[in-house]
Amino acid sequence: MNDELTKAAQFVNRLLANPALGALPPLQKEEQILQFLQVNRQALFPTLSSPQFFPGYTWENITFIMEKALMETVNQNLVPQLQGLVENSLDLSFIAFLRQQNVSTDAVKKDLIRFLGELLSHPSVRREFSGSYNSLVYHVTDKYVEQVFERKEYVHFELTKVQRLRMGKEEVKNLIRVSLLLKPAVYLFSVPGTAQQEIQKSVSQPQFTDRVLHSLTDKLRCLPPEVLASAVHANLSFLDNQQLEATARISAIINNLCRNYRPDMPRDRGADTMEKSWLSVARKNHRFYGFDVKVLDEFYKIAGENNW
Amino acid sequence: MDKKITDILEGLVIFIIILVLIQTFLEDLSVLLAWTWSARRILLITGFFFDLFFTVEFLTRTYAAFSRGDLKKYLGQGLGWIDFLASVPLLVLSSGPGMVMVLSGTGLLFSSGGILNILKIVKTVRIARILRLLRVLKIFKQIKNVNSIMAQRHLMKITATSVSTLVLTLFFFNLFAGAVGMPQAGGILEEQYRVTMESFRSFRQDGGTAQAAAASRHQPDLLVIKEGETTLYSRYDNDYYHRHFGPGEYAYLEEGGVGFFFDLRRVQALEARNNLMYFTLILILTAVLLLFYSPHFALTVSDPIHVMNRGMEEKDYNFEVKIDPRFSEDGVFRLARNYNQVFLPMKDRQNREAETTAEDLQLKMADIKDLFS
Repeated sequence: MNDELTKAAQFVNRLLANPALGALPPLQKEEQILQFLQVNRQALFPTLSSPQFFPGYTWENITFIMEKALMETVNQNLVPQLQGLVENSLDLSFIAFLRQQNVSTDAVKKDLIRFLGELLSHPSVRREFSGSYNSLVYHVTDKYVEQVFERKEYVHFELTKVQRLRMGKEEVKNLIRVSLLLKPAVYLFSVPGTAQQEIQKSVSQPQFTDRVLHSLTDKLRCLPPEVLASAVHANLSFLDNQQLEATARISAIINNLCRNYRPDMPRDRGADTMEKSWLSVARKNHRFYGFDVKVLDEFYKIAGENNW
Repeated sequence: MDKKITDILEGLVIFIIILVLIQTFLEDLSVLLAWTWSARRILLITGFFFDLFFTVEFLTRTYAAFSRGDLKKYLGQGLGWIDFLASVPLLVLSSGPGMVMVLSGTGLLFSSGGILNILKIVKTVRIARILRLLRVLKIFKQIKNVNSIMAQRHLMKITATSVSTLVLTLFFFNLFAGAVGMPQAGGILEEQYRVTMESFRSFRQDGGTAQAAAASRHQPDLLVIKEGETTLYSRYDNDYYHRHFGPGEYAYLEEGGVGFFFDLRRVQALEARNNLMYFTLILILTAVLLLFYSPHFALTVSDPIHVMNRGMEEKDYNFEVKIDPRFSEDGVFRLARNYNQVFLPMKDRQNREAETTAEDLQLKMADIKDLFS
């Protein structure tokens, strides 16, 4: 098995190094390769089952080895990077504002890193983690929250008056960042082997998310329930529940915005900016995705004014 | 033909077009600034070879188009008519006769008879030279903008229309003016030369040759008066004539056994000035079209279409068209609004639900061929 895994690792390493995937973030590369294996199954199977690669293996066995090798290879860079982001860029002082008491943020960070490791071992979570990861790497939350606090319009009102977050903008940024990191956790509770689209439908059911929230509270006692609720509720439709936390609504939008985030993608002359384009489309499709259209409207204005 | 060789030849043609534009400018400037004949001679000879080159280029393209069976397309849509007008007539009417004059020295003009004949030949040569300005268009014709063939064609069309209208109007107007006998510098000068000759004759009768020759100094275009082998008057020494005068730059008239040589360079300088003005006008016109009209066309037509086209062809391309409020009611931007507000959201919803196909992925089977080798 180890030999096969080494062969598979060599193969996926070369796939990952392919210039066609050059500019993509690691999880998007992984997703591309997984889909590549899936859609080119018939063309790849004769070669991959040849003596040079995995003789006598079924396609299911080959993809299992490949997925395992791919996950391990991507994790070699992804996990330390994520760990670094949590340790160095994430400020968990907002917990003190929510719990009204001082907590050791180092212990919480350790717990969070451990839990993220657990999340990343689950394929269906990884598929949904791209948006969270990109939002952190490219500081997308920070720039929008910064503008929200400057403008003091709808989103600011929702955060401070409706959700009643009694904290500064830096704490709000970090609360949303944690909410984003934990948003894909609902996929941890999906039934293995279910198609991704089916999983997506089930995780957006309130009954399901209630159960998930309950389990998550047990798993992550270090985090206040408000944070976990924000993360889990980021998977629900605002149209079905107008009482969703503002941070959950923002997390849902930013996660989706960053799903295929490519700041390096060259913009054609005559085209609008990437974020403004995405937000404009999301405004039209807000019912489809269950987004709060007023948050989208404000973000759209922000993106337009800042040429994002 | 091999694409690489074709590209090299096309590159060579562009390079020669740039050279010929510089040569055109210098040729007129040299007349205006009265450069020495040896310098102008070089420019005349290079001009002839450029015309020869473009004539060969035109004939080659015509032959190739004829062989492919699309001669009509080349001459019309392919703007072969510009290639024709900027080559064959110039070789036949302008640089060809000019080259004959250079090679045959002064003989041609002396044998041509009266000043009107000389001026007519010079005039035809000069008028035909206007057609050289069409070569500015050849540069546009050679530029291959693969990103927007439509933008290139539109820009070419509007530039070709403006420049050729200007050049052909000047060309035919000058021909027409000559044909109907409109007042021209040559005609006016001829009258002046006749007066000069008449004055010389009457001064000579009244006060003798020396007095008549002295009086002739006041006529600035009179160069030499000769009677048989005897020079009665000469404005400059022989070396000066040798260095500064070429064939066609002086006129010879004879009356009563006395020969008069007149300087034609002032007329030619006036025409060179006009040519430079037309040349500058055309360069500025094309530059303005390129710098102002071309970006406007891109902004309002080709760029939005390009963005919409990519959005329709590529699954992951989801940029909206940026709509300039000044032109928001243009047909293109009304279409773009529908693209932004209807098509892209629909595509986004469809993408969310559709299964991924091989075409949707950035990684293709062709990218990994080397992995299996």
